Amino acid sequence: MKNSIFPRLAADTIRKNGKLYVPYIISCIGMVMMYFIIHSLSRSPLVIEMPHGDNVRMVLSLGKFVVLIFSAIFLLYTNSFLIRRRDKEFGLYNVLGMNKRDIAKVLFFESLYISGISLVAGIGLGTLLTKVFELILLNFTHSEVTFTFTFSIEALLFTVGFFILVFFILFIKSLFKISVSNPLELLKSETAGEKPPKANWAFAVIGLVLLAAAYYLAVSITNPIDALIWFFVAVILVIIATYILFMAGSVALCKLLQKNDKYYYKKNHFISVSSMAYRMKRNGAGLASICVLCTMVLVMLSATVSLYAGSEDIINGRYPRDNMCGILYNDMSSISDDQLDIIRGNYKTEADKVGAKMENVLDYKYASIAGLVEDGKTIFDPDSTMGALNGYSNLRTLMFMTADDYNKAMGTNIKVNDGEAMIYTLRCKYEKPDFNMNDVTLKITGKLDEFPAIPDAQVSVTSSICFVINSMDDIKSLDSLVDYNGDKSLKYQWIYAYDVDLPDEAAYDLVLEQTRHIEIDGGSISCSSKGVERTDYYSTFGGFLFLGGLLSIIFIAAAALIIYYKQISEGYEDQKRFEIMQNVGMTKGEIRKSINSQILTVFFLPILFAGVHLCFSFPFLWKILILFGFSDKLFMILVTIGVFLVFALIYAAIYKITSRIYYNIVTTKSVDA
Amino acid sequence: MSYLEVSGVKKVYTTRFSTNKVEALRNVNFTVEQGEYVAIMGESGSGKTTLLNILAALDKPTAGNVILDGKDFSTIKEADVATFRRENLGFVFQEFNLLDTLSLEDNIFLPLVLEGKSVGEMKQLLTPIAERLGITDLLYKYPYEVSGGQKQRAACARAIITNPKIILADEPTGALDSKSTDELLRLFDEINKMGQTILMVTHSVKAASVAKRVLFIKDGEVFHQIYRGNDSEEAFYQKISDTLTLLATGGDRR
Repeated sequence: MKNSIFPRLAADTIRKNGKLYVPYIISCIGMVMMYFIIHSLSRSPLVIEMPHGDNVRMVLSLGKFVVLIFSAIFLLYTNSFLIRRRDKEFGLYNVLGMNKRDIAKVLFFESLYISGISLVAGIGLGTLLTKVFELILLNFTHSEVTFTFTFSIEALLFTVGFFILVFFILFIKSLFKISVSNPLELLKSETAGEKPPKANWAFAVIGLVLLAAAYYLAVSITNPIDALIWFFVAVILVIIATYILFMAGSVALCKLLQKNDKYYYKKNHFISVSSMAYRMKRNGAGLASICVLCTMVLVMLSATVSLYAGSEDIINGRYPRDNMCGILYNDMSSISDDQLDIIRGNYKTEADKVGAKMENVLDYKYASIAGLVEDGKTIFDPDSTMGALNGYSNLRTLMFMTADDYNKAMGTNIKVNDGEAMIYTLRCKYEKPDFNMNDVTLKITGKLDEFPAIPDAQVSVTSSICFVINSMDDIKSLDSLVDYNGDKSLKYQWIYAYDVDLPDEAAYDLVLEQTRHIEIDGGSISCSSKGVERTDYYSTFGGFLFLGGLLSIIFIAAAALIIYYKQISEGYEDQKRFEIMQNVGMTKGEIRKSINSQILTVFFLPILFAGVHLCFSFPFLWKILILFGFSDKLFMILVTIGVFLVFALIYAAIYKITSRIYYNIVTTKSVDA
Repeated sequence: MSYLEVSGVKKVYTTRFSTNKVEALRNVNFTVEQGEYVAIMGESGSGKTTLLNILAALDKPTAGNVILDGKDFSTIKEADVATFRRENLGFVFQEFNLLDTLSLEDNIFLPLVLEGKSVGEMKQLLTPIAERLGITDLLYKYPYEVSGGQKQRAACARAIITNPKIILADEPTGALDSKSTDELLRLFDEINKMGQTILMVTHSVKAASVAKRVLFIKDGEVFHQIYRGNDSEEAFYQKISDTLTLLATGGDRR
């Protein structure tokens, strides 16, 4: 046989099966492109040079990894659709006298064409789009960097290397499939009778239990740190449960419905329920994948959009004033009130030097210590606080402030006696009448609505209880506690924060000047300026949003493609069935109605489940966002609902387009009839 | 007036991309009496399948009429065709046309479910039929688990369970081995003896020899017909065979 025929045959196969190959090639191009873009961006001088570019690069590297794994799995999955549909053609070649070696040659050229097209088009488009994405990224992260054209050789090499490996694996997989089959099987593989699906009750129950466990985790965990740890456990549980439920649970449900004669033998249910069981058996995994992808998109988008859109709130919560000077010291006696007055005076002098006026001054000091609050007592033992992970839910930051300082800072006039305290709680409740620690017992006389050090408490991952007491002498015995490093456990902090009418950079310079000369025995000095911090936050959250958006696009495209292939393969399967039903006396309308209800169920089941998953993931997300300083729950609920609605619209559009293709296939008479 | 009247039926197909016209049926006339068992024979391309499609109301004749039990097919509204087919006609196909997603029992129930019959009623109808067709033990099996002959028996059960006015069989023995063919033909004979009108399209002489009358179609017309009368199956087989030879060697029209 002349060798030139193989490239031609390969090209013909691709051209003639456009309905199957075009989306596959597009998805290959898409995957190559996405990986190339992310890799290029992580190497882009633009990203390296932009302020806090490290944050963005870190997020992008994470994304690179995700895209890498995802595209390998996804291409393997979609490729199996192709192989299944193509078997018949290869069987025919085989019968017509091509041996397996010849078919392997055709396959080789086919792989060559597909990988060639994908790499060239993917990298070409990727280069162009990298520029666009650079602009978007800069916009998201609020950076201003001059724009140049760059091309990353490293990204090119990595992309080509990785995807050639993937295509090679796919080629080997097809070869293997061909080598183990015989021609008659290949010819028939699509029409072979199929066993009716069996309900696997054990699996269905396991799926339900896993899902219930994951949901229970989601709603029962109250502590952000626990949420962070258990979130990944819950994600894995949900993914496994989704696959099991779609694959085994759905069939079990259909069987259950079939057992109910009154329900099953009804015009509207009869065909739908029986073919649904088959459909789910074949496509359960596909549907579960769609569901998992949808859920990921929804979770990623609602979290990243909330964070990004809530950035300003987070920043204002953390930095209530433009500039903040903090002094941390170990011993109450390190700084006297007179010293504080001198430092305050210095602050003013420095501000006057640049002609700035400090306004809305926030001036307070407090002591803080961490401890396990359990059963009416408090344990400061370093081993038990740091050792037990599950102890996190009872770990509290305890803050103490004198009534004098409180009144000064808040402009109030509260009075507390010795041995008494008024409390403010953050992210936790304390309802007992008194509070015990070591040999100190504080009688709680009331609750406060505000506390000046809330921004400091919010940064901490633990919940906080804040006490306003008469004098620091009340907690003097805590002074002797040390942590496992031998450092003192109880720390004192003095915060001086103010608004200033200066540009970001100048404000930052001022706060640096103000704190430069302070020297305190055994203390440390910190300062921050909101303008500078804002850039940092935006580069991180913007990076998150950008990555979330990018991954969402990939995942949605992947889900759309799975749906497309599912519709096509189901279309061919249903073609014959459609004809039989017509012959037996069902009207076109009845058939259409029955098929419609199946398609609708199959189609909207994944997004319905994804919606439920999203609802249950919300408590988790909320607690994790708290760690970032996010505090507006209503806002996040609205964002989540908004994300879901927009996504549902996109999903419905995908449905419209692909179901038309399905109907076209089903209503053309099958050739062999 | 006869039970089934086919008069002056003509069918012309126009191919989609040319103005070529293909005359599948030129002028078909015949009648079938109630309780009759008629076989229609003819070579490939003679118009058998077209005729059957028209009788099944799946296709419309270009000219002429089909009247079943006083009901003119041309007066049936498009929307009611499927219902008409379901209520009046029973089908047996060469390829069985069983849905592989349903058990044999559910396949047989399909037309009844469409009519909205209750489960109790359906079971009542099925029990005697399944017994007579010898498929009682197979009812809970799926099509992929049973032989071709068994599938065809299930298909017959599906055809007769609605008590149709006429059964249209399209090469019912085409996909069966000789043993199953014999069984099925005996079954048809039995069904016919119960008073069921049967019209079967076939090119198997053996299948046709079981019928009471055989129509021969050639070039879109009924070319010839022979009655079995009091002939034995063997004698009738010979007659049909002779007629086919005559047809093939180009005998003149009657």
